Amino acid sequence: MTPVVMGPAFWTATAIFILSYVVIISEKIHKTVVAIAGASLMLVLGILAQREAFHVPELGVDWNVIFLLISMMVIINILRPTGAFEYIAIRSAKWGKGSPIRILIIFNLVTAVISALLNNITTILLIAPVVIFIADALEVDPLPYLISCALASNIGGTATLIGDPPNIMIASKAELTFMDFIYNLTPVIVVVMAAYILAIKLIWGKRLVTRDELKARIMAMDESEAIKDPALLKKSLVVLALVLIGFVLHGALHLQPATVALAGASLLLLLSGTRDPQPALSEVEWSTIFFFIGLFIIIGGVVKVGLISWMSVKALELTRGSLFATSMVLMWFSAFASAFIDNIPYVATMNPLVVDMARQLWPGLSGAQQLHQPGLMPVWWSLALGACLGGNGTAIGASANVIVVGMSEKMGRRITFGRFMIYGMPLMVMTVAISTVYVWLRYYVFMI
Amino acid sequence: MKAGNLMVPLQEYLEPGMTLKEASNILRRAKRGEERHGAKGLPVLDVSGNMVGFLSIRDILKAVFPSYMTLMDMGDFTWEGMVEDLARKAGGRTVSELMTSKVISVSVDAPLMECIDHMLKNHVNKLPVLGHDGGVAGILYEKDVFLAITRLLDGDTGGGG
Repeated sequence: MTPVVMGPAFWTATAIFILSYVVIISEKIHKTVVAIAGASLMLVLGILAQREAFHVPELGVDWNVIFLLISMMVIINILRPTGAFEYIAIRSAKWGKGSPIRILIIFNLVTAVISALLNNITTILLIAPVVIFIADALEVDPLPYLISCALASNIGGTATLIGDPPNIMIASKAELTFMDFIYNLTPVIVVVMAAYILAIKLIWGKRLVTRDELKARIMAMDESEAIKDPALLKKSLVVLALVLIGFVLHGALHLQPATVALAGASLLLLLSGTRDPQPALSEVEWSTIFFFIGLFIIIGGVVKVGLISWMSVKALELTRGSLFATSMVLMWFSAFASAFIDNIPYVATMNPLVVDMARQLWPGLSGAQQLHQPGLMPVWWSLALGACLGGNGTAIGASANVIVVGMSEKMGRRITFGRFMIYGMPLMVMTVAISTVYVWLRYYVFMI
Repeated sequence: MKAGNLMVPLQEYLEPGMTLKEASNILRRAKRGEERHGAKGLPVLDVSGNMVGFLSIRDILKAVFPSYMTLMDMGDFTWEGMVEDLARKAGGRTVSELMTSKVISVSVDAPLMECIDHMLKNHVNKLPVLGHDGGVAGILYEKDVFLAITRLLDGDTGGGG
């Protein structure tokens, strides 16, 4: 361990870091602008050299995360106009036979599954309008559908490496594979989802009623009309399937997830026969991408000056070096932190902190050997579960929540911060509690 | 030729507090010259006569068009009675909620080419024309611009302007 020198560089970097996070939380300036500005300051003031920010993995931009996000977004941008999502939504509503509560449950399950495979923001952007449409057809309140689908997308996204940005970041930092997430997180998410479905049935089941003639509206819809481009749809689904197979095998093939996703995106661009790739590329959420880039550089600055190291020493002192205590505290701390602040900057900060803990605990080891110590694994999973599920606590905790709140405001139905929290917070506490029991039983009692 | 030469002087207008029902009645029976032709849109003026917006037929179509329909291609799945339900609900909404508040306008001295430029680039077919005092003096209609052009095609040198 090199001792932390609290000199001018340390304080400058710490000030930039704290100031950036405070302004991001205050929402006075757009978070992407703040992140890029903070990153520029780290570079201009010489805390971080440009070479370190761009080319040193421990200090700078994690290109694995960036290219995984961009590539998946490109694939979705090509898939979106085919009408696949409208098709799935109408099909689901008909499968629910027009019953409001059955449709609510089916939409939640579909949202969770799609969110596990694609990113949450896209999933909710595509599902939410159809959900309101179906609620309108049934003349029932759309808010239970909107709120629950946002929650379901966050739960579903927790299940896989590619489901939620925190998982993508954790996987890259901790060198975990897609299958590691399937073995360790998917089982608990299945249990969490079952409990969640039961809970929403209890909350909304009695209140959602409709008349038979309105159910007929749903049954009269012909979902096959939704498919606008069957040829492109087939190609997109084939590529998506290949990408998923690639993710399953990426560990065995020694390919990074970003390599798999980039190959998929390029294959789909080739197959789509497009003459102009600009639309598919320009619809990438560049604001999100640059938010990540900015954050990585800001964090790189405070890693370099030793702030994160100092924090990890304090954290281990707090839990007296017990990894069980660390894991449990981290899960609940992450959950409440992510409920109120964006979980992306939160995980960006916690990732190097956990890496530093590993360095303190196993100084003789390095690389995956150090990061994959059996004692450390539950800490990674607790971070992932806490940060992803915690987003459900409030209306601002996750991007999906922000999107449904914005959408319902546009149609004249404001979801207040309090109204969202009445549902979100207890459900979040329930899901994190189940995860706590899971981590405790699996890694500390049965140790499997 | 300038906007002021071709515009139809302002005869009627809407107020921000009117309901959609009141406003659509005015639109339906609006005068143009001496006859009641109805209007496809009218400026919205506040009590001191300043233009605060413009309400056109398109804004009224939008009033019954749910916002989620713009986000997804759901046009194939609508049901009988959907517009009727939404129209009944929209009747009580106010002009200020539904009007377009960023209005493209021209001054009475604006050259005709400037007016055409606004119409083509902003996809509008009428422009409120502002007088020297800043108040709305009239409306310039696409149709009148078209008639002016056809007169030029016929060899008229446009003596009036």
